[in-house]
Amino acid sequence: MAQQEPQAIERDLTMSRAMVEAIGHEMRENDEVFYMGEDVADYGGIFDSTEGLLEEFGRDRVMDVPISETAYLGAAVGAAQRGMRPIAELMFVDFFGVAMDQIYNVMAKTAYMSGGSVAVPMVLTAAVGGTYNDAAQHSQTLYGTFAHLPGMKVVVPSTAYDAKGLMHNAIRDDDPVVYLFHKRLMGIGWMPAPDGPKTAVPEEPYVIPFGSADVKREGADVTVVTLGLHVHRAFEAAETLAEDGIDVEVIDLRSLVPLDTETILESIGKTGRLVVVDEDYLSFGVTGEIVATVAEERLAELEAVERVAVPDVPIPYARPMEDEVVPNVDDIEAAVRSVCS
Amino acid sequence: MTEPDRIAIEAADVWPEDVEETEAVVVNWFAREGRRVEAGEPVCEIQIEKVSVDVPAPVAGELVAIECDEEEAFTRDDALGRIEPA
Repeated sequence: MAQQEPQAIERDLTMSRAMVEAIGHEMRENDEVFYMGEDVADYGGIFDSTEGLLEEFGRDRVMDVPISETAYLGAAVGAAQRGMRPIAELMFVDFFGVAMDQIYNVMAKTAYMSGGSVAVPMVLTAAVGGTYNDAAQHSQTLYGTFAHLPGMKVVVPSTAYDAKGLMHNAIRDDDPVVYLFHKRLMGIGWMPAPDGPKTAVPEEPYVIPFGSADVKREGADVTVVTLGLHVHRAFEAAETLAEDGIDVEVIDLRSLVPLDTETILESIGKTGRLVVVDEDYLSFGVTGEIVATVAEERLAELEAVERVAVPDVPIPYARPMEDEVVPNVDDIEAAVRSVCS
Repeated sequence: MTEPDRIAIEAADVWPEDVEETEAVVVNWFAREGRRVEAGEPVCEIQIEKVSVDVPAPVAGELVAIECDEEEAFTRDDALGRIEPA
């Protein structure tokens, strides 16, 4: 082959394409990897999560399933227990309730209850998040529910680069991984993404380890801990706040289980001020967990704390009402100002 | 004015046949100006009547100009960008 000069400019990918690239690579490398879910074959995933995979791998490895989450998630768990590496997509995370016994009693507990002799190397992918008026049963961001129950790793990408590296790691992991992608970040034509999630993505495979939070913006005054869509909203708030001389550090957790407490604590050691932002419900969730962890470990260094999350109400359908409950850039800005005052 | 040796990137070849709509929107660019692209490499994604289609690079070379930015509308014969052949 002719000697190629390295590209000065990497191609950019949307988050969905970055995920699909990782899945395609792993399917080519390992015959045990397959994908199943509702509308993942002919439709390519309603949020483009499997676009093009059917054409390359055929119906034995990219399977549309009937609308019965218990049945097909149970089938995926069984296949994983027997050594295959299924990726099973729950179209909307909101539908987990139908299949929760398979998810948290079987998928999450098999390794423990078999004394470590039966692994469940599967990936459960699911779309999360609102901001497009899909009402209370299609708009939730239930990171906390899965992170609360032991036995599952929980991963949430915010950029195409992270999405690819985390997906490679998820498929290769021998434990069940819940991989939650925010619809608004996927880069779909009918649901424009904010600036930010489309990034340069290397063509070769690479792995981003779980439990490695990423300091996506360095700052000295306040630490904003967040994930998913709200990483980008935090950037926007940070830009405005910078004009007023408030220097915000933005930490993207990238995974909730395992949780990288080290990176958070290090940042708090520097700033002493913490704002936790997410799109899950406020009570008994991610924001409370992060604040509690920091309080346990660094109480003396903590000067002020704020939480920004969805109040404990179902996500409203009406646009102005949904906009009201889902944390926006102004909410983050206000919280940062309040811990600085 | 465009230099003659620059090849236009057009969507005419990938325009769905069963669509009457003559206007489309660029949804995503996958290459930035200055990137070397392969012939056939998808350089951008367009949307016509809610159908998404990738537009391939007509030749190998350097993407020297993006003429239709993301979220901008264009018609079938418009140049979306230009490639200087390698």
